[in-house]
Amino acid sequence: MSTDKLAQDRFDEMLAQALKRHSEPVPGDFTNRMLRQIREIQEQKILARVTLQQRLALAACFVFGGIVIVAATVFPDIAASVIRSVTVNVTERAESLIDRIPQTIKAFSGEWQFYTILGAVSGFAIYSLVELFIGDRVTIT
Amino acid sequence: MAKKIWQQQKGNFLQLLRSGDERAFAEFIDKYKQTVFLCCRSLGLRQDEAEDVASETFFAAYKGLRWYSGQAQLSTWLWSIAYRQAVNYLRKNRRKWQLLTEPNEQVAQNQERGPMLAAQHSEEAEIVWAAVERLPRLWAMAVILHYREDKSIADIAKIMKARKNTVKTYLFRGRERLRQLLAAPLEEDVDVDR
Repeated sequence: MSTDKLAQDRFDEMLAQALKRHSEPVPGDFTNRMLRQIREIQEQKILARVTLQQRLALAACFVFGGIVIVAATVFPDIAASVIRSVTVNVTERAESLIDRIPQTIKAFSGEWQFYTILGAVSGFAIYSLVELFIGDRVTIT
Repeated sequence: MAKKIWQQQKGNFLQLLRSGDERAFAEFIDKYKQTVFLCCRSLGLRQDEAEDVASETFFAAYKGLRWYSGQAQLSTWLWSIAYRQAVNYLRKNRRKWQLLTEPNEQVAQNQERGPMLAAQHSEEAEIVWAAVERLPRLWAMAVILHYREDKSIADIAKIMKARKNTVKTYLFRGRERLRQLLAAPLEEDVDVDR
């Protein structure tokens, strides 16, 4: 090996060692500061997402209302017939329901123990489901 | 001393990082903050500027981790982000010109280290670093990546978004300039030793 090459290799080695010993001053609390900033940004993101959802829901309400108004203005006959048929249906069903109430009370009074237990079990099932899915979100600590 | 997550479970560390595990990301910052600051300072940013750009770099890394394929080394990937952020910062502040000029004025600005830190370094390392600081920034970056970080020419080209031949030129010129700059001080050192 030539002396030039040897000198070059020694220079490279010295350069690498010296550079590896060098370190830059880094603020002591840099990591914690970074984590705090990242947390803040995540919170802002979540907040922005919720706000966007709410705005979209509100916009959907306005748009739907607008469509209904426009439809009622442009096609008054169709709108009137639709509303009439809905009203008639609802009225008929309400009347039939009212007619059934005495029969239901009669049936319930005959087997009230069974319906009470069924009601309690159903209530508990609904409570458990609500607790399971949104329990941690509605718990106030 | 407790072992870090990245030492205990190297394969899992990336998964933890991608899943947004805060402890894993804290270790990631601890492990690479020195690297990121070094990149910023090598490109001629002041300490306060380096802090801002380092924060931007870790934000970008946090957001980009889910798209990190794992083909390149994590350090190479982070170097490329830090480099891009620092160059963007210089561009925004109309200081990109300083990447290819000899930074005589910047050397004075960069001597902000406290006496404690200076004492930790050997004299040789200080002399070499002072010489590196006098190189044009792109040459210095190539030299640091090659000699300090042991990166290959291909990796350096990826980090600096340059051609391999350009990187070789930076390295060659940087090395030659360093030889000139270091010839006198290191010879003086040798004479003193004798």
